[in-house]
Amino acid sequence: MSKDKIVIRVLMVVGIVISIYSCVDPEALNDTDYSEWLSGGSQTVFDNGAGGFSSAFPHLAAEREKVHSIGDGAFGQTFVTAPAPQNPGLGPIFNNVSCTSCHINDGRGKPPLPGEQLSSLLIRISIPGTDVHGGPNPVPGFGGQLQQRGVFGAQPEASVRIDYTEKSYTFADGTPYSLRFPTYTLENPYTTLPAGVMLSPRVAPPVFGLGLLEAVDEADILALADPDDRNDDGISGKPNYAWNVVEGKMTLGRFGWKAANPSLLQQSAGAYNEDMGITNFVFPHESATGQPQYDGRDDEYEVSDSLLHSVAFYIRTLGVPARRAADDAAVLQGKKLFVDGKCSQCHVPRLRTKTDVAFPEISNQVIFPYTDMLVHDMGPNLADNRPDFDATGVEWRTSPLWGIGMTRIVNGHQNFLHDGRARTLLEAIMWHGGEAEASKEFVRTLSQDDRDKLIKFLESL
Amino acid sequence: MKKSYLQYLLAGAALVSLSNCSDNDNASPVNEELNTQVLLDFSANLPQAVYSDLSAKTSTLYDQVVALGANGATDDELAATRATWKQARQAWEQSEAFLFGPVSTKDIDPHIDTWPVNFNDLNAQLTSGNAFTEDYINNLDDALKGFHPIEYLIFGENGAKKAADLSERDMEYLTALALNLKTLTADANNSWKPSVSGNYHTIFTTAGKGSATYATQLAAYQELVNAMAGICDEVANGKLDEPFTAQDPSLEESPFAQNSIIDFTNNIKGVQDVYLGKYSTDGKGLEDIVRQYNLQLDSDIKAKIDNAINALGKITDPFGKAITTQAMQIETAMSSINDLKDILETELLPFVQQHTK
Repeated sequence: MSKDKIVIRVLMVVGIVISIYSCVDPEALNDTDYSEWLSGGSQTVFDNGAGGFSSAFPHLAAEREKVHSIGDGAFGQTFVTAPAPQNPGLGPIFNNVSCTSCHINDGRGKPPLPGEQLSSLLIRISIPGTDVHGGPNPVPGFGGQLQQRGVFGAQPEASVRIDYTEKSYTFADGTPYSLRFPTYTLENPYTTLPAGVMLSPRVAPPVFGLGLLEAVDEADILALADPDDRNDDGISGKPNYAWNVVEGKMTLGRFGWKAANPSLLQQSAGAYNEDMGITNFVFPHESATGQPQYDGRDDEYEVSDSLLHSVAFYIRTLGVPARRAADDAAVLQGKKLFVDGKCSQCHVPRLRTKTDVAFPEISNQVIFPYTDMLVHDMGPNLADNRPDFDATGVEWRTSPLWGIGMTRIVNGHQNFLHDGRARTLLEAIMWHGGEAEASKEFVRTLSQDDRDKLIKFLESL
Repeated sequence: MKKSYLQYLLAGAALVSLSNCSDNDNASPVNEELNTQVLLDFSANLPQAVYSDLSAKTSTLYDQVVALGANGATDDELAATRATWKQARQAWEQSEAFLFGPVSTKDIDPHIDTWPVNFNDLNAQLTSGNAFTEDYINNLDDALKGFHPIEYLIFGENGAKKAADLSERDMEYLTALALNLKTLTADANNSWKPSVSGNYHTIFTTAGKGSATYATQLAAYQELVNAMAGICDEVANGKLDEPFTAQDPSLEESPFAQNSIIDFTNNIKGVQDVYLGKYSTDGKGLEDIVRQYNLQLDSDIKAKIDNAINALGKITDPFGKAITTQAMQIETAMSSINDLKDILETELLPFVQQHTK
């Protein structure tokens, strides 16, 4: 054991002793309550500022910290047109130029403001039917994702116009609220778009804590599923199974807005390939292959295996921000409303990661992600009407809520849901429908004071 | 961004002890009046003053670029333009010590300071007949606009460009880029101006007093210290370490103007300025809070800032060359800056957790 480690262990003990002895009231150290401060278990981080999503696991072995740091560097690298000495291979068509230009501060993207370019939101596309693995059926000439930008001389696939229509509603106490309904139109396609193209707009989700979600035992997730609603509670979470490119078989989907992605490696590799036009060993062919924009540069992987693994490792080992004000009276009342409204039926507060002797940092942790990792019918208003493996056009994965209260400080906005249509947390709740209709109705009938407490609770996550 | 283990233990212990104790009689003293003043002075003297300075300098840069094109450029005029570019860089690099708020969340940072430059597309732009309207430049990829493409156009490879080398297309593109930089830095300046609606000055300085973003003053102080430590990490373990470890001069960020070491030094001077609460004007800073309770910590932090700046000063070759010729000086600079980062994370951060609320 190095001197540093001894010092650290002594400090840990001192820290614990101080925290125990500094408290007159022994009941404050209730084990369950104490854990809830630590959303990411022992991989909880205590930066509650703009960098709150960007901290490595605090307990990471030195050699792993090095890999994390290499991945961190790669995550920020801007790709440019090949050939070039640094980061060649961008495009020829793409959505963005680096990981971080969508996942700003490792956080949440948003739809563009009027006059802004589409940046941290992309459009998945498909036509009816499925591909050979049961996934979305790619659009001839366009593929499965729309690239709305191109390097010099390469024509983007199309541009995207977003229009919003406001609709007015009222809470039971008479307070009005409004939701903006988006419509997405593809303009100036480089070639004719076939009829019946289905669009699924998606903002970049935050990327912290994902290693812990990847480490939740599949059996624990399946135990939460109730696809036929046998318990008759109106909620029928179901697992999505997606094609695992690395393993060459269908496996449980965990990531993405419809849980159609089975692993962080595949997620990262897919983003390199589709979002930036960067080929890699998982997805070796340019997204523009077969299209006129294709530049014929399939000769070598544009991101190396080791860098790709490092980037996947980087997002696997980003820690989860600690709760703020978790013991505040209003927050605790808000939490009770969250449970009473059955929000916690899908946004399951507590999960445990499986034991993993090869990766002790993520092994056997009690975490508080507020998700069941399952897909649910969210009603017609939220539907994209585009199936994605087993997830139908009305189903979405329960989004983790941990860290959601820090969106404002990290990303400077309050845009939520798959396409950022909600402009506040309360709007996001009021968009819920389908299996969550009763929960939304519960919130609709709350008093202003109770609505405030519910939001306060969410902001403490 | 990587942070040390120790920081979390200390922060964690502080959080646990704070959260467990609603009525701790032994709480550390908190001078709320001073703490409020330091946030106000920070906003006025750092982001407001630095972005205003940056905005003024890029405005001058634009005027000079326009004049270059109009008069038929002389080498003296080009030299003056280069000098202004370097002055604008100085303000920008110092501002990187507080890279939070709209400059980060609204992407102003990558719009004006992306590396590497996309040279293939840049050259293609120059040989194309495209009109470089404001909208056109605005929609260009970040690797085609901002400080570094401007640097490339006015310095040239190896800094060898002469005024006579500036083609008409060079000038058209350069003028459009300078205008875009001027506009974006004006946005940065406006984003902290108290008179502008939605400004970050109000959001930051009302911490703990109604700010929806900063629930406590402690949160604002953690933001400051983490930003200071963050730029130290970036300089030591990114900007210095990556080209050095790879022994690859093409990884250097500002090769045309040979401005890299000056950039790094200004990053650390930015940390110093945040600590002192001064840029052009001196006000109350973190220094004043620290000096009230812990003179030793104050002198330790100042010594480490000086060490870091001095160590960078010992790198006398251009950085791209120094990675092979001055390995020892670079190693010393990296370790001095990491020392500064460590004291900020392991001593100043726990200190503000004790003395702000």
